[in-house]
Parts: sequence; structure tokens; C-alpha cells
Amino acid sequence: MEVRIENLTKAFTSQKGPEVIAVNNMSFVIPDGKLVGLLGPSGCGKSTTLYMIAGLHKPTEGKIYFGDEEVTNVPPEHRGIGLVFQNYALYPHFTVRQNITFPLDNVRPKLSKQDKEAIAHEMARIVDIEPYLDRKPKELSGGQQQRVAIARALSKRPKVLLLDEPLSNLDARLRLQTREEIKRIQRETGITTVFVTHDQEEAMSISDMIVVMKDGVVQQIGEPQHVYDEPANLFVAKFLGSPAINIFDGEIKNGVLYVDGVELEKNALYKKPRRIEDKIELPRELDEKGNPIGEPKYEIKVTEKHDRPVKVGIRPEAFRLNQEAGLISVKQHYIEHIGRDISIVGEIAGQNASHIKVIIPSELRVKVLDKEVSKFEPARFYVFEESGERIK
Amino acid sequence: MTDKPNLNEQYTEVEATEDLSLGSYVSGGTLQVAKPKWYMPEWLKALIALIPALFFLIIFMIYPIINTFLLSFLEDFNWVGGSGSSFAIINWAYSLSPDFRGNPAFWSFNNYVNVIADPSFINSIINTALMVVVSVPLTIVISLLIAVCLNSIKVLQGFFQTVFFLPYVTNSIALGMVFNVMFSKGGPINSAFGLDFNWLLAAAGATRWSMFLVITVYSVWNGLAFKILVFMSGLATIDKQYYDAARIDGASKVKIFARITVPLLSPQILYITITSFIGAFKAYTSVIALFGNGAYDFGGTGGKEWMTVVGYVYIMMQRAQIGRAAAASIVLLLLILAITLVQTLVSKKRVHY
Repeated sequence: MEVRIENLTKAFTSQKGPEVIAVNNMSFVIPDGKLVGLLGPSGCGKSTTLYMIAGLHKPTEGKIYFGDEEVTNVPPEHRGIGLVFQNYALYPHFTVRQNITFPLDNVRPKLSKQDKEAIAHEMARIVDIEPYLDRKPKELSGGQQQRVAIARALSKRPKVLLLDEPLSNLDARLRLQTREEIKRIQRETGITTVFVTHDQEEAMSISDMIVVMKDGVVQQIGEPQHVYDEPANLFVAKFLGSPAINIFDGEIKNGVLYVDGVELEKNALYKKPRRIEDKIELPRELDEKGNPIGEPKYEIKVTEKHDRPVKVGIRPEAFRLNQEAGLISVKQHYIEHIGRDISIVGEIAGQNASHIKVIIPSELRVKVLDKEVSKFEPARFYVFEESGERIK
Repeated sequence: MTDKPNLNEQYTEVEATEDLSLGSYVSGGTLQVAKPKWYMPEWLKALIALIPALFFLIIFMIYPIINTFLLSFLEDFNWVGGSGSSFAIINWAYSLSPDFRGNPAFWSFNNYVNVIADPSFINSIINTALMVVVSVPLTIVISLLIAVCLNSIKVLQGFFQTVFFLPYVTNSIALGMVFNVMFSKGGPINSAFGLDFNWLLAAAGATRWSMFLVITVYSVWNGLAFKILVFMSGLATIDKQYYDAARIDGASKVKIFARITVPLLSPQILYITITSFIGAFKAYTSVIALFGNGAYDFGGTGGKEWMTVVGYVYIMMQRAQIGRAAAASIVLLLLILAITLVQTLVSKKRVHY
């Protein structure tokens, strides 16, 4: 089932304080049978989006389609969805079997006991919890509870499976295992699946497509590797990747990019000025009390900047060691050994950033070990305006 | 590892060149809190904290229970009339000497035999059991429904909560008087239903069951407030996600109530059931407040129609039959104990914590 979201907006109003816009005019399409990750920092509206797809939250504006059918005003029980809650919300007084079959009790026409039992076993097999069917949720580990929750969500054969932060309550090892499980279950069932996470690694590793959100606004949508390689803006670049991308203060002067006085690159793109549009309110006539009359009027003032400070982003793995002729000199603080690679934590003279990270293969360890300063060449870098838009 | 000394050198260099304020922190050793001369043992701390509660519990609970238990075996004991000391323990000490009042049959089960053979005690047990069996389940079901309804409304929730809580802070004698007026011949109940019937006054035609009806209505209404409060606080602890999950699972409202809300509320339901049973077995005020003719009138022409077990105890005390009163109390205690025990055993299977 293809899920299409059009101009979705959700505003939360409260008696105290101003209206909060959790999701702002969001549109995207989730293709049939894909696993999609909604990714963003906490409070970016990703869970709200999920709950609107589920039907538990009513959108303030916009439309949601499942296939060709509009479901914006359809209650959750009639949308044909399965939802896995962040803390699983397994009914504590039911056994695993009862938890899985509870949604089936409400199906009309009624299913026979044998049918329900068969479905319970099939679901348990898919999520690999067959030996635990007669246990209570609290007698299971976190990972097992998680799988029971998925089994419950799947038992009604939903058209869309929704998972809210499915891995956040698990420990690191279980998280790796369970995310592979989720991928496997999704592949096996072929159900269109949307999951919410704040962990970029999690989203990147199993999603067919990721939607990066910030403050209720979609920043970028695409295949994980593409989003990683071609971030649309500074936020996406910073949010994806672990360890995080290194951001340096740079400068464009006469169409040449400098970092710290070192010429990094000449490119026609840098010759293009930055247009800044300012909205300026025009003065209005005042009435006798000193209040302005009529609607406010604005003038758009356009300024173009050629020479300007910019942000240069270099991913830790995009450095090439070149002790003789490297453009970037890193003062080494210490070296972290990660096994396959080593990462050098250090600083660059003249940069405000407290430290930067450079990842190089561990074979090159001997070349940097005793050095105070190592020189590197950036194999790949991104240039952003100070406001965040990408230049190159 | 040839590079290790190198690294160390680097570190010492840093310490030497930069004046770190942590220098004295590192070299100064662990900072100590002043050591007390001795450590108060945990049990003593516990005891000190418990003293106020223990003081009152011992004086007003534990000692009276022991005293009552001992009194129930003392025949002809009457400290009001002058025989014996009000401290039963002293009487027991006397009774150990064989020549005490020349009565070696001082300890006996006679009080118990007399009480159980007393038709008015049997009657009071039946009355109490009737009240318990009818009013307790009714109150629990009604209060549970009201709590769930209150919990699901947003508008005026505070107002209704206050309304339902009012009986709890009102004096039960005053409530009884109000009910007495409401169910009297010219009262609002009669005018509302177009009746001309005296519900409570036996001399004017009230029957045993009309009285029982009023007692039940009164007890149910009087018991609602506290139960609603407990259920509402219980409902507040149920994670809203269970309801969201059940909704997505397509469960109807009735089904959610029966299969999600009630089981998740079972600890509160158990608590309320046990305390209501105990409270109902101790019924006394509700009856005398309704009939309003003083401490020993339980309705009916003889004033004994709806005598409760506690009422029986008080009447025995009034008649200076302290031993019998004590024996009746102990019987009541055993009864409540047995029922509570059964409830706890049953709940082991039904309550989900």
C-alpha cells in the first residue's frame, strides 16, 4: 500500500502559551512495500507524523492517502494499520498468545479459535518468539517484548506497519540484532513500513528511504546513501554520520574558497553571489493616538554578497593522509583505536571548533603516531552558506 | 611499546607549562567529611522514626485487641459495676491465684456459647451479612462506572469530582438525618414518586424491606466518594497507550472497559473490595443515623429490626455485659479475617500488578 502525505500540518494548541506547530506543511510519498525511516532530533515532529498516519492524531491541515483512498478522517481501527509503540504497550495481564490474538477478537466475521491459534503461531514464528506464547510480557526480555509488539501489530495483516522508536528501549547489542530482525520481517511480509527514530545509524542501515526532519519541516528525502553523500543542507550533513562531520569556518573571496587562509578550491560556483532578500516594513501614516493606519506594507530588499564567510564540512573519513603536501594541518590531541580504523582527535589552528575527528585506516597508524601535527588533504568536502543552504 | 615513555613526557610537559588549577586537586588526596564518634545502627534509626506511630498503635489498637481477647474469656466481668479492674491483664494475673473470688471457673468459653446461642446476635449477623452482600458489590460497580465516566470527560470534570466527593467530608450522622427526612412520609422521595408511605417508621407501616432499601441506598451513596477517588487515581496510572493500542486493535468501548480497564484496575478493585467488606461488617452509624432515635435504635417496633454486629456489641456494653461484648467483637474479627483471607487467596489469580 502506497502512503501519500499531502501538505500535512499539525498544530497543538494549549490553554497556556502559544500554538505549537509540530509538523509544518509536509508532503511525501512512501512507495508500496518499502521500509521508510522518519529521522530527526527529538521534538522534530516525527512521532506526530507517525501518529497522524496511524489516525491517533488528527491533522490540522492536509491529507493522507493509503493507495487511492483518502484516510484523513478515517478512525485508526478502520485504516488497516499496525502500530508498535515506543514502550510496546503490551497488555500486561495477557499472555503473549492473548496479546497477539487480541486484535483478531475484534475482526468481523469472527475467526474460529483454530484460525486465531494458527495466526498466533504464524506470527510467533515470523518474529521468532514461539517458545514464549504462554508467558506474560513482564517475563520476557526487552527484545522479546519488542518482537511480541510487532507480532501483535502484524496479526491483523495490516496494510501499513508503523513503528515508533522501535529500538530506543533496547541495549546496544540487542539494537543491532533487532534492527536486522525488523528488516527481515519487513522483507518477509512485504508490508509498507514506516518507523521513527532519532538514531541516524539505525535509519541509514535498514531503510529503503529516509525522511530527515527538523522542527516539523522535511529537510531531505531519499535513499540513505544518497542523503549521506549529498546532504541538502548543513543540518542534514551534521545530523547524518557518526562520528559527525567536521565543520570549519571558511571564506569565499573573489570566487576562491579559503579555510584558514589556505586556498582550498577555485570553482565557478563560488563566483555566484548570495542573494539575501530582506522584508522591510514601510512606514505608515499614524492616527491621532500614534497607532499606524491600515495594513502593514513591505518592501523586498535584495542584497547580493560575493565575498562572505561560509561553512566547510568534511566527513571524518574523507581525509587523505599526506604528511608532505596536505592542505589541512591537524594538531593531534590523541588517537582512538576503533579496530579497523583509527581516529585522530585534534584541532586545526585558527578554528573555533574545539576538536575535529579524522578517520584513517589503521595501517597508517605508524605514520601519525608520534607526530604532533599531521597534514591531510580533503578528498571530498561540502560548502554551505552560513544560513545552512548548500553551495557545493 | 617504545612510544609509551614519549606519551608520558608529553603529559608532564603539559602539566609543567600550563598552570592547571587541578594541580592541587590531584595531589591533595581524598577530601574527608568529619567522622562521627559512632554510627547509629539502622534499627535504632527505624525505631526512632516509628515511635510516634507505635505509641498510638499500641495504646489504641494492640493493647485493646489483647484486652478484648482476654475479656472475652472472663465471665461476669463488669468494671462499670465494680467487679474487676478495667485492665484485663490484671484480672488475668489475679485469676492465676486459685482462691481468686473463690471462682476457679474464671476462664471459660461461656461468653462465646452465650453469644452464639443468643437469637439477637444471630439476627445481627444475618442483618450485617445482608447489608454487606447487597451494598458492597453495588457500590463498587457504581463507583467504578462513575470513575470511568468522570475520567473520560474533560468539561466540568473538576466540578463533578467535587460533587461526588462531598459525601466523604460530610458527617454521616448529618447525612442520615437528611435521608431520614427524604424518606419520611411528607419527604421528597414520596412526592417525587407520588407515594404516601413511611419508609422508616415501623409504627407507621414501614416494613423490614423498606427499611433495608433505605439503608442500602444510604450506604451505597455514602460509600461512593472514597471509592471513586481511589478508582480515579488508579485510572490515572494506566498508560494511555493501552487505550490507543486497543483502539487500533479495533476493540469496542465496552470491550476496552471489560478486558483492559478492569484488569489493569484490579489492584485498586481488590483494595476497595477488602476495605469495603471490612467497613460494611462494621456497620453501625449508618443504621442508627437513619432511624435517628439514639444509639440503640435500629428500627422496627422493638428497635432491633436492623441491629448489626457492632450494634450488638454496644448494646451488650450498655447492659454491662462486657464479656459478651468482647466475645461478639472477637467473633466479628474472625469473620472479617476469614473473608479477607478468602479474598486475598482468590485475588492471587485475578489481580495483575
